[in-house]
Amino acid sequence: PASKSSQLEKVSNSHGEMLKALSSFSPSVQELLVIEDLLSAMVGIEGKYVCVRRGRLKEGNSFYYQLEPSLDASLSDLAKRILPLCENYVVVSQFAEARSHFKHGLVNHAFASALRAILQDYHAMTAQLEHQYRLGRLSLQGLWFFCQPMVAAMQVLSTAVQRAIVQHASGAAMLNLLQKQAIAMAGDNSARSLLQKLIHAASTPYFGILERWVYEGVIDDPYGEFLINENKSLQKESLSQDYYATYWQQRYSLRQEIPGFLASYAETILTTGKYLNAIRECGHIVQVPSSENGTLMKGRVQQPVLERINVAHDFASAELLNLIIHKFDLIGRLRSVKHYFFVDQGDFLVHFMDTAREELTRKTSAMSVEKLQSLLELALRTSVAASDPYHEDLACSIEELSLMAQLHNIVRNGNVTSQQIGSAESASAPVSSGITTGLETFTLEYKVRWPLSLVISRKALTKYQLIFRHIFHCKHVERQLCATWQMHQSTVRTVNTLGTAISRSYVVCQRMLHFLQTFQHYMTFEVLEPNWHLMHGQLLNAKSIDEVMQHHDAFLEKCLRQCTLLWPQILKKVDKLKFICLKYATATQWLIPAIFRQNDHFQQSGPTDKRSKKGYKERRGRLEYPMQARQAAEDSNFKLTIGKIDEEFFKELKLLVVLLSNGSQSDPCLAHLAQGLQGVA
Amino acid sequence: SESDISEMAIVRDVLYACQGIDGRYVKFNKDADGYMIDESIKVPKSTRTLVRRLCEVGWLYLRVKNHISESLENGPLEAIGTVGQAFCAALQEELADYYRLMAVLEGQAHHSIPLMVGADSANSVGNYLSLRRLVVWLGEPLVRMRLMAVLVDDCKTLRGGAMAGAIHMHAQHGDPLVRAFLRRLLRQVCSPLFEMVRRWVLEGEIDDYYGEFFVSAQSVKAEALWREGYQLQTAMLPSFIPEPLAQRILRTGKSINFLRVCCSDQGWAQAASEAVAAAGASASGGILGYGEIEVLEALVAEAAGRIDKHLIQIMYKRYRFPEHCLAIKRYLLLGQGDFIQCLMDLVGPELAQPANTLSSFKLSGTLESAVRASNAQYDDGDVLDRLRVRMMPHNDGDRGWDVFSLEYAAKEPLTTLFTEEVMGKYLKVFNFLWRLKRVEHALCATWQTMKPNCMIARLWSNKEGGQSQLTAVLKRCQTLRNEMNHFVTNLQYYIMFEVLEYSWSNFLEEMEEAHDLDELIAAHDKYLGSILEKALLGERSQLLCKTLFSLFDLILRFRGLADRLYENAREVQTRGDSSLRSKGRSDSLTKSRPGQRKLSTAQLSGDFLGTLGEEMDGVAVEYSSLLEGFIAQLPVQQHVDLKFLSFRLDFSEFYTRQHMGMSTTPI
Repeated sequence: PASKSSQLEKVSNSHGEMLKALSSFSPSVQELLVIEDLLSAMVGIEGKYVCVRRGRLKEGNSFYYQLEPSLDASLSDLAKRILPLCENYVVVSQFAEARSHFKHGLVNHAFASALRAILQDYHAMTAQLEHQYRLGRLSLQGLWFFCQPMVAAMQVLSTAVQRAIVQHASGAAMLNLLQKQAIAMAGDNSARSLLQKLIHAASTPYFGILERWVYEGVIDDPYGEFLINENKSLQKESLSQDYYATYWQQRYSLRQEIPGFLASYAETILTTGKYLNAIRECGHIVQVPSSENGTLMKGRVQQPVLERINVAHDFASAELLNLIIHKFDLIGRLRSVKHYFFVDQGDFLVHFMDTAREELTRKTSAMSVEKLQSLLELALRTSVAASDPYHEDLACSIEELSLMAQLHNIVRNGNVTSQQIGSAESASAPVSSGITTGLETFTLEYKVRWPLSLVISRKALTKYQLIFRHIFHCKHVERQLCATWQMHQSTVRTVNTLGTAISRSYVVCQRMLHFLQTFQHYMTFEVLEPNWHLMHGQLLNAKSIDEVMQHHDAFLEKCLRQCTLLWPQILKKVDKLKFICLKYATATQWLIPAIFRQNDHFQQSGPTDKRSKKGYKERRGRLEYPMQARQAAEDSNFKLTIGKIDEEFFKELKLLVVLLSNGSQSDPCLAHLAQGLQGVA
Repeated sequence: SESDISEMAIVRDVLYACQGIDGRYVKFNKDADGYMIDESIKVPKSTRTLVRRLCEVGWLYLRVKNHISESLENGPLEAIGTVGQAFCAALQEELADYYRLMAVLEGQAHHSIPLMVGADSANSVGNYLSLRRLVVWLGEPLVRMRLMAVLVDDCKTLRGGAMAGAIHMHAQHGDPLVRAFLRRLLRQVCSPLFEMVRRWVLEGEIDDYYGEFFVSAQSVKAEALWREGYQLQTAMLPSFIPEPLAQRILRTGKSINFLRVCCSDQGWAQAASEAVAAAGASASGGILGYGEIEVLEALVAEAAGRIDKHLIQIMYKRYRFPEHCLAIKRYLLLGQGDFIQCLMDLVGPELAQPANTLSSFKLSGTLESAVRASNAQYDDGDVLDRLRVRMMPHNDGDRGWDVFSLEYAAKEPLTTLFTEEVMGKYLKVFNFLWRLKRVEHALCATWQTMKPNCMIARLWSNKEGGQSQLTAVLKRCQTLRNEMNHFVTNLQYYIMFEVLEYSWSNFLEEMEEAHDLDELIAAHDKYLGSILEKALLGERSQLLCKTLFSLFDLILRFRGLADRLYENAREVQTRGDSSLRSKGRSDSLTKSRPGQRKLSTAQLSGDFLGTLGEEMDGVAVEYSSLLEGFIAQLPVQQHVDLKFLSFRLDFSEFYTRQHMGMSTTPI
């Protein structure tokens, strides 16, 4: 020992001497000196003979260790095998230090912590080796042998860490990176299990976030690592205005980076939390679903985790559905909406149309919504609708565009945008009548509150409104025709109309009425009612709110299509027919009184002549000739008009039937309508 | 040896350095800001680096230690507060662990480090300590010490809840070690805070000598206790207690204090003890402390629910808040029609006097008799006692009408709800309603004089001479009265039904649902606010209100005119009658006098009618222009639901058409 120490003293005199000195020692001394330095290098400290050099020897690191060149060649080769371990240690320990900072996120913190635990083992090992060294039992060969398990492990860690540094990975990306690494090293058993351990440690905080989301619907994610992103700017109140219903779709969304082991369940996880959140938004405290084995989800085996997510999903979905259907009475609401928008209890509408006729026939700009509103309330209170608990939520509003123009927009743009695009394009839109009156623009409005606005969103409500406006206008035309019919009735009772144009007009009127009534019957009894009942059944069996929304949307879509609202050509024809009907009604309502002013005159002048037709006719021919001439002129005018209208109507109707039977190929329901109309055409 | 000193000596010095003490060789170097081996001593470079690295713990230790001693020994206790004390205590506890480790290491450092001894002496080697072994030993303490040093730095200037919040922010870390450490620390640090919360929520006491609690108390009068007595100090609110929960905590303690001070009620103690029992049962035995937010939530929910319920019940049952609201509605908001009618009849003549001649005693007597004469007499004596006459401060020339008002004197603790400001608002509404009522009353009185009776009929039918002028004026008067009556009736309908009753029924609903005093106060404020806003008394409708008041004045002026007119007409009539009668009687006696007299009467009335007719025209013109202005302004008031009023006033679209006719036809 004495000689050895004196030799050592010599070496450390100065750096310059030292270089020469190493080669001057005997190989056994050289070995001892190098071991001493290697032990330092293994914990990242430069020694005399093992130095750090800046630069790139191999890809990745910006430094490398270099041995004293004067070292004995075989010893040098032995020692060189250990240098990568030292390099890797430095990389890993630096990473572990750096990633403990707050900004790197929970996953990185946990990962760094796991790394630190491994490094602690590593330090213990170096201390152990030192002990052996001090006892004089450690040779370079032995050092290499004892380091073996750590060499492999450190290599694995270093590779993973270097990738993470390059990719600036954090959160899910970090987990994915480790996962990928583990899969890539699947053949190496020890490496894989090491990585698995690290993944487990790193994913623990992630599971913590997941747990809160899946069990409580709360995102507790201070560093934005979770797979679900919360868009706080979207408020649930927007559902009652926003046509695209973005709240439900975009309030919570999946991030791009999702941990691989959750990827297939991401949607389930998303909806679970969304449901819980929706329940919470309703002001209910969410009960954490029964998790018997505590709330921990750190299953090393993945299966139980996914199972538990499923359990939580089922629970949340059932809970929300229960809440919406029972507490907030979704079915009742839908029924109420149906009463008003599908006019299935029509008495309120009749009342309303009676009282608001004057207001409705004005121009859109001159209408007073308040007046309509108060009239509507009056109508609601005096009809069956008063027994509906939700009738106070009904209101009315006035659209800017006519139904046709709005539908035109829908078909063209693929979407309903009643206001924004509408106003710009209304000029170019093919509006059949020049002035739109309240009859075309009047529509109902329904106040829907959270959480029902999930189902009856603005979009759904717009569809309801479209159908309502369609029915409303048909009703209006029918009422006009009925008024004409009444006029005919009173005429037939008082005057003999045989052979005059009036009887022809009467037939036309009947034909038109038949057309309208068939059309309405088709819409209400063959489309809306059965479809609604179908949907009602589906809703009762629905398992989740998403399913409910889906059924409801499908129902509305189907109704729109089958009510011909999505068939522009057919709809245009129907509109044309209605227009003709209205023209007819206006014409007769003008012309018939014009004729009968004279007839009334007749009756007043000769009430006695009523006894026999003959006497009447004689008298008519003889005495009132000038008057009769005028009447005949009016009559022929009338006849001409009626004839023209009749022909036009007949022609259009035929075209409609043809269109319908063409359309029935894609939608068999139209065939019923075609058949029904066949009778008239 | 390759170095001047043995490794053993270095290790011993490093251990000293780790406790912040300079050793023989390892000393604190100010330039490098850390412990290192003296430059003059020759040691291998690797040893130097290793020592430097190891001594980081010592450097950190010194920071922590300094903080503790500074806070505990030097600084006054107020500066750090109980939370600061708890923080120091917790740190001290951690340091105690550290000292224990040091002691163990110290023991090991005495064993000599074997140096290349032979295999034979290996057995005799004890548990020695080398620098590399120290690296292993100090690995975990270093992490902990680092954390503590960071906390100390961050919390230096913070106190109380803010400090707890700052430490909590550090606990948002993914490292399980860090998490567990901070959790342990926080449980200690927060314990004084949670004790404060517990005392506050269950007993309504604040034990906060150093201003660390997130609720602060001010000494105020009993009636302001609820609104101003206690405030939330957001700066002291630790971030792990969410704002709504903090609000709830604040309210619960406030409720207890309110019950104790204002209601002198003791029933809350039972509610609180029930809450403790219930919370204990529901939170599965968790103890109040950091990390057990659910337990806190459960406790607060239970306590708040029970105590607020108790409070609301006391307000409803013992202090009969709903009854008083109803009484106010009936008397101050003129809900009790017969009483108001009686009062108006009785007090009317009195109020026509100048304000300074009125005696409030006399008016109180009148009020009493109005109560006796109406159904109000069956009302609760307590309620009637509180109803008083109040004379407002008056200026010169004010009439009794301008200063008279009713007042409802609320007693404690209802003054918390019926504060002076609230009563002021009620007074404002009352004055408005009283004015409206007076106008209606005046129009009714006018009708009594104007309604067709035989005398008036004779006036109408009598078409002789200047009488046609009288007829014209009378007709004018009738139509104007009708028009005014239409306006007043509809306005009154709107105020009574669309404003008062509607707000009242909303208020009743909200009162039913109110869980705590805050909600009750909010409901009441909303009720009053909606009345003020809709009755055009709000800030934004001042112009409208002014127009309305000038309309009222005009109507009252009209009443005076109409009264004069009819008095005159009656006089003319009676004179005519008497002259006719006297003519019949004294025809034979004097022939010239009657004719002369009749002539003078006609002339007089002709002049009178002329001026009166002009005045009436003036009133009519002014009235229609004011009314037109009023109706035109109505739709501008976007904020309130006034459209129904305008729709009502102009139901037949008479005014719209008139307006359009006026604006389209050029003069």
